Amino acid sequence: MDRKDNQSPQGETARILVEFLEVAITSIVFLKGVYPSGAFERRRYMNLVVQRARHPQLRDYIHSAVFGLLPFIQKGMVERAAVIFFNTDGIPVERFVFKLAVNQSYGSKVEETDLEFSLRSFLIKLSVSESLTKVLPCDYRWEITAYFRSLPEASANKDVEQWIPTDTRQWEQPPLLTPIKSMSSEPLCVQLYIEHPSLSEPKP
Amino acid sequence: MSMESTRSANSAKRSFNNNSNSASSNSNSNSNPSNKKKKTSQKTLGVAWGSNSRSSSRSSFSNSPFSNFGSYMVEKNRKLQNQFEAEASTSSHGGSGSVKPIFDGVSIFVDGFTVPSSQELRGYMLKHGGRFENYFSRRRVTHIICSNLPDSKIKNLRSFSRGLPVVKPTWILESVSANKLLSWVPYQLDQLANNQPKLSAFFTLKRSSVSNGASTHAPCQVNPEAEDSSLKVGTSGDTYFSEVSEPFEHSKQISGESDDLVDENSNASLVEEPANSSGKPCEVAMVVPSNIDTEDESSVKNYLQSNHYQPSALVSSNCINNQNMKGSPSSTVSEPSNQSHSTLGDPNFVENYFKNSRLHFIGTWRNRYRKRFRTLSDGFNCTSSNIKASALKTAIMHVDMDCFFVSVVIRNHLELRDKPVAVCHSDNRKGTAEISSANYPARDYGIKAGMFVRDAKALCPHLVIFPYNFEAYEEVADQFYSVLHKHGNKVQAVSCDEAFLDVTDSEGDPQLLASKIRREIFETTGCTASAGIAGNMLMARLATRTAKPDGQCYIPPERVDDYLSQLPIKALPGIGYVLEEKLKKQNVWTCGQLRMISKDSLQKDFGLKTGEMLWNYSRGVDNRLVGLIQESKSVGAEVNWGVRFKDVKDAQNFLSNLCKEVSLRLQGCGVEGRTFTLKIKKRRKDAEEPTKYMGHGDCENLSHSTTVPVATDDVEVLQRITKQLFGSFHLDVKEIRGVGLQVSRLESTENSKQGLERNSLKSWLTSASARTEELCKNNYVAKESSNQGCEGEGDETLVQLCGNSVGLSIQMDSNTSNGAACLNEVSVPPPLCHLDMGVLKSLPPELFSELNEIYGGKLVDFVAKNKGKTENMNHTLRAYSHEKIEGAMKEGQAALLSSMVFQNEIPVENKAKQHIAKEVPAVSGAESFVPASGLMKTDLIPSSLSQVDTAVLQQLPEELKVDILEHLPAHRMQVFSPNVLLYPTEIPLEALGTKTAENNSGSKDFVLDNNLWVGIPPQWVEKFKVSNCLILNILAEMYYKSGSTGNLSPILQCISSVSIHQLDAFQDGWDEAMYILCELLKQYIKLKIELDIEEIYVCFRLLRRFAMKSEFFIQVYNIVSPYLQALVGENYGGNLHMSLKD
Repeated sequence: MDRKDNQSPQGETARILVEFLEVAITSIVFLKGVYPSGAFERRRYMNLVVQRARHPQLRDYIHSAVFGLLPFIQKGMVERAAVIFFNTDGIPVERFVFKLAVNQSYGSKVEETDLEFSLRSFLIKLSVSESLTKVLPCDYRWEITAYFRSLPEASANKDVEQWIPTDTRQWEQPPLLTPIKSMSSEPLCVQLYIEHPSLSEPKP
Repeated sequence: MSMESTRSANSAKRSFNNNSNSASSNSNSNSNPSNKKKKTSQKTLGVAWGSNSRSSSRSSFSNSPFSNFGSYMVEKNRKLQNQFEAEASTSSHGGSGSVKPIFDGVSIFVDGFTVPSSQELRGYMLKHGGRFENYFSRRRVTHIICSNLPDSKIKNLRSFSRGLPVVKPTWILESVSANKLLSWVPYQLDQLANNQPKLSAFFTLKRSSVSNGASTHAPCQVNPEAEDSSLKVGTSGDTYFSEVSEPFEHSKQISGESDDLVDENSNASLVEEPANSSGKPCEVAMVVPSNIDTEDESSVKNYLQSNHYQPSALVSSNCINNQNMKGSPSSTVSEPSNQSHSTLGDPNFVENYFKNSRLHFIGTWRNRYRKRFRTLSDGFNCTSSNIKASALKTAIMHVDMDCFFVSVVIRNHLELRDKPVAVCHSDNRKGTAEISSANYPARDYGIKAGMFVRDAKALCPHLVIFPYNFEAYEEVADQFYSVLHKHGNKVQAVSCDEAFLDVTDSEGDPQLLASKIRREIFETTGCTASAGIAGNMLMARLATRTAKPDGQCYIPPERVDDYLSQLPIKALPGIGYVLEEKLKKQNVWTCGQLRMISKDSLQKDFGLKTGEMLWNYSRGVDNRLVGLIQESKSVGAEVNWGVRFKDVKDAQNFLSNLCKEVSLRLQGCGVEGRTFTLKIKKRRKDAEEPTKYMGHGDCENLSHSTTVPVATDDVEVLQRITKQLFGSFHLDVKEIRGVGLQVSRLESTENSKQGLERNSLKSWLTSASARTEELCKNNYVAKESSNQGCEGEGDETLVQLCGNSVGLSIQMDSNTSNGAACLNEVSVPPPLCHLDMGVLKSLPPELFSELNEIYGGKLVDFVAKNKGKTENMNHTLRAYSHEKIEGAMKEGQAALLSSMVFQNEIPVENKAKQHIAKEVPAVSGAESFVPASGLMKTDLIPSSLSQVDTAVLQQLPEELKVDILEHLPAHRMQVFSPNVLLYPTEIPLEALGTKTAENNSGSKDFVLDNNLWVGIPPQWVEKFKVSNCLILNILAEMYYKSGSTGNLSPILQCISSVSIHQLDAFQDGWDEAMYILCELLKQYIKLKIELDIEEIYVCFRLLRRFAMKSEFFIQVYNIVSPYLQALVGENYGGNLHMSLKD
C-alpha cells in the first residue's frame, strides 16, 4: 500500500487511471462475451468484484496496452481510449470510448479514495449496461485504440513503439452516442460512452 | 501460509473435541454413537478442511458430525476466531508489546462495503487488540461498522443492529491515529443521526402507544433508565443493588451499550416493533420486577405516558419525584398524559413543548406574578414618584436565589445538598440535552449551564441530574415573593428568583434586614438566597455577585470606586459577548480601564445610549428606579427544538397550535397586537444534523411580518395571518427547524374598546375609510394599501366581473359591479347607486344584513328600487352617473358612450393609482369577453389606445391580446373623430407594440445573462420561484425537494413524480415559460457538455419522457434538442442516441 510520495499529482492520477482502465477494459471484454466466461476469474478491485483475464496473453495485451499509455496520460496527451469491436471487414460495430481529461495544472495532493470512489461507479454501471450494447456479429475482433491529441515522436520513448497507427476504418456518418458514466473529480475527468453507427450509416 | 493453515486445522480439531457435547446435543436425532467413532469422523474432517478442496469438504459433510447448518456455522465461527487469534498474537508480537491495545474489548462486525475495506479494518483490529467477527452475533459483537445502510435496515434498525452501536469506519481509523479508543458517538452512522425522531414520529408514537397499551414496551423503555435511577437516588439505590445486583450487572451492560440507540433513535421503532421486547426476554424478566418492587405501578405507568410527550426520554427521575417529593403527584407529568387520552391522536406538541420549557416558565412567570401581586405593585407604582424627591441616600437590596432551579428541586433531599446536582430535561448520559442549572458543588467540576449532559457527565461522572419541577418552582417563587413583599412594599421583580427591593424607607440597618429576609426565605422555601445592598440597582446587583452563594454583601457608597476598579467589564449588566470583545480590542478589561475613556468617545464608538450606559456603569452610576416595570413590547412564542415536519399538513397543524399558544399568551397579558411576525429557522443547506438531540443546528433565520389595522388576539385571525405569512416563505417544510410567532404593536385590551365589533366587517370598513377618504372621491375602487388578503380575493373578483359583464342585464352596471366586488375586498362602502344588484342578490343573508347595517338600512330600499329599474334595462341603454362624461356628451353619441362608461373607469383608476395588477386585467378581460360573446357591439372596445393600459395588455393571455389589438385599429377608424375631444392624447399602435415588446424582453433579460446556473442555489431558482408561471414555480420547488444538488436530473426526476399532464394546465405566459426553460436547458448543456455528458443524457431522456405526455415539453424538447445535438457533435463527434424505442 505504500507509494512514493514524491510523485506528481498527475503521475499519481495517471497511475490510478491506468490501473482502472485495465480493469474496465477487461470488464468490457468480459461483458461483450468475447471469450468464454471461463477465461476470466473473479478478483477484488476497489472493493468490488471484477473480472480478470486468466489467459496470460490476453491479460498481457490489455495490461501492456494501457500501461503503455501511462506516460502519455500523465502528460495529458491522450484524449480518448477506446475498445473497438469490428467485423471481418474492419468496420467498427461498437466502440466503448473513455474520454479522458487530466488537469495538468492541478497541484495539490490527490485524494486517492475520492478518485477510487468515483471510478468505482464506472465498474458498477458497466456491469449492468449490457442492455445498452449491441449484439455483435458472429465473427468479430476487437482492439484497444488510443486517440492522441498529438502524435508523440517515435524516438522519444520506447513505449511509443508498442503503439502503431490503427487501420480500423471509420464510420462515414457521425455515430450515435450512449453515455454510460461520467465523473469529474479533480484532477481527473473520465467519461465512458458507447458509440454505435448512425442509422443512416451505409450497411456493408 | 501453509504453517497457518495446518495450525488452524489443528485448532479446528481441538475445538471439535471441546465441542463434541454441544454437537451431539444439537444432533439429538442421532442415536448416541460411541465417542470413539465420533473422534474418527472428526479426524477426517480436519484433513478435509486442511486440504481445502471443495469436493472433499462437501463429501466430508455427509459423514461429518454436523447435523445441520447451524452447528456447521458454530464450528466455522470458532475456527475463524482461532485463526484471528493466531494472527493477532503474531502481529502484536511485532507491535507495541506491553502497551494496552487500543481496541481491547472491542469486537467489530463489518457490514457491507466500507472504506477502508473490511480486510483493512480486520488488519487494524488485529494490530490493536480488537476482535473481528465475520458473522454477526449479538453476544460477541460490540460495534457494527458500516458506511451505508439500505433503507430496509434503517427502518428495522433494531432488528438489524440488535441495539448495538452502528458506527462509521472512520471511528476505527481515527482511534488508531489518536492511539486511544475514541467515543463512537460522533461517528455514528449519518443515516441514523438523520433518523432522529421527527415531530410526526412523536405523534404516531403517542397514538400507537395508547392503542398498544403500556405493557408491551414497558420493559424496553424502563430498562435503560432503571439503572440510572438507582444510581441517582444514591442511598436508596444501594438497596436495589443488593437485591437485584446480578441482574442489574447484566442489564447495565446491555443498556450501557444500547441506551443511546434506545433513547435517541428508536423511540418510535420501539413501539412499532413490540416484538423486540420479547426478543430480550432476559432483560424483561429481570428488570420489571425490580421496578414494581420499588415503585408502585401507577408511577411506572405515569412515567411511561409522560415519556411520550417529553420527547427526549427524560423522565428517568420523574418516578423518583413521584416517590420522594412529598408524594405530591407532579402534575406536569400526569396532566398531559391524561390529555393524550382524551385528545387521542391530536398532536399537542406545541402545548407540551411549552409545558416542558424552562424558558417558557420564566417568560410567563412575570405574568403570573403580576396577577398575584397586582395590588401590591400597583400601590407601589403610585408612590414611586415621591421617592424621587427623597432619593438622597437610597438603599437598594438585590435578592437572588442561589441556583434556583437546582435548589428548589433538591430542597427536600438533604443528602444531595453537597453533591453535584444539575437540572436538565433529560438524563441520558450520552445525551445532548443541555444542563439548565447546576449547583455549586457541580460548578466546582466545571459544569455550567448550557453544557451537554454527556460533557457534564464526562467532567463529573457522579453528577445527579433532575428534571424540571415547574410546580415546585412556582410554589417557591410565590413563597419567595411573599417574603419580599412582607418586608418592603417596593419590590421589583426581575425574574422568578430575583428581585430588587427599595429599602430606603424601612427603619433599621439594611444589612440586618437582608439577613432577616434571607433567613425567612430559607425557612419557608428551604432554599438559600443571596443579597446585595448598595446605593443603586447596579451596585446592588454587583454586590449580590460577590455575596453568592448564600451570603450577603453591602457596598457603601465610598467603596463603590474600589469595588469597580478591578471588576472585569463582563460583570456589568448590559455587557455581553460582543460588547466585551469590542472593548477588549481597545484593551479595556476592567471597569477601572473603562473609566479612562471619555464619555464622548464611548458614545462615538458604541452609540449614544450604550456609550452613556458604559460611562455610567463604570462609575457605579445607575439612575433607574426600583419598580419601573417595563411594559413588554411584544408577545410571542417560539419553538426551536424538536421541529421536524413531514409535510405541509404537519406544518399547518403546528402553526395553528402555535397560534393558539400565542393567542392564549396575548389574552393572558391582556393585550392585542397589530403586527405579526413569523420567524422561521431554516436548516442551512450544508448543515449537518445538529449535535444537540433534535436541536435546530445551523440555521438561516427568516422572518416575514404583516400589520393589520385593528389589533387582535383572536385565534382564528392569528391562524389566518400566520398561514399567509407562512405561505410567503415558499419553503420546503422539511427544512424547517424552528418556528416563532411574535405579535407586536400591542394595545391593551381595555383601551381598544372594541369588544364584539372587533372582527366584524364594519370595523374593517370604517377603519379603512378613514384612511382613504379623499381617494374615495375619485371613485369606488379605493383600496387599502396594507390590506392583506386582496390577492386571495382578487381571483374571486375576476370571476365575478367576468360573470357580470357577460350577463346582459348587468352589463350596464358593470361599473357598479366593480365597486360591489371591491366591497367584498374590504374597502370603503361605495355609494349606494354603485352597488350591483346581481351581486347583492347573491350575497349570503348574513353578509347582506351586515351590509345593510353599514348603509344604515338603505340597502333594502335600494334593492327594491332597483328591481324596477332592471326591467327597463333591456330596452334603454342607461348610463350611470359619470359627471365628466355626461358633461362632454353630445346627444347623438349617447348610445355609444354609455357603453363606454365601462372603459372610462380604467384611466380614472389609473389616475388614482389604486388598482392592483390583478384587478385590472380582470376588468379588461371582461371587455374582451364581451365582443367574443357577441352580446354587444364592438363599440365596447376602447375608442383609443390611450385608454388601454399597457400594463394590463401585457398581463393578458396571448390570444386576448391579439384579439384586442386586432379590434382596435378598425374601431379607431370609426370613432376617432367623435372622441378626439375627449381623448386628446393618443399613443399610436406601433408605439404600443414596441413598448410591449420591450417590456417583455425586459422581463426576460435575466435569462440572457448566461448565468442562470451560477451560485448556490443557482440563480434561476429564485427567479423561477417568483415567476407567475406554474411550470417554473414547480421547477424551483423541485430544486429544493430534490435535495438542492445543483444538478438538473434530480429535479426532473422529482417532476416526473408529479403527474405530467398537470404541467400543461396553465395558459398564462406559455411562450415566456417555454423561452425561459429552453434557455435554462441550453445554458445547462453548455455547462455540462464537456465534462458530464451522462448528466445531460439523463436529463434529456427524462425530458423526452415528459414530452410524450405534455404538449409543453414536446415543444421544449424540440427546440433544445437540435442545439444539444450540435454541441454533442462538436465535442464528441457524434449524436446522442435518443431514439424512442428504448
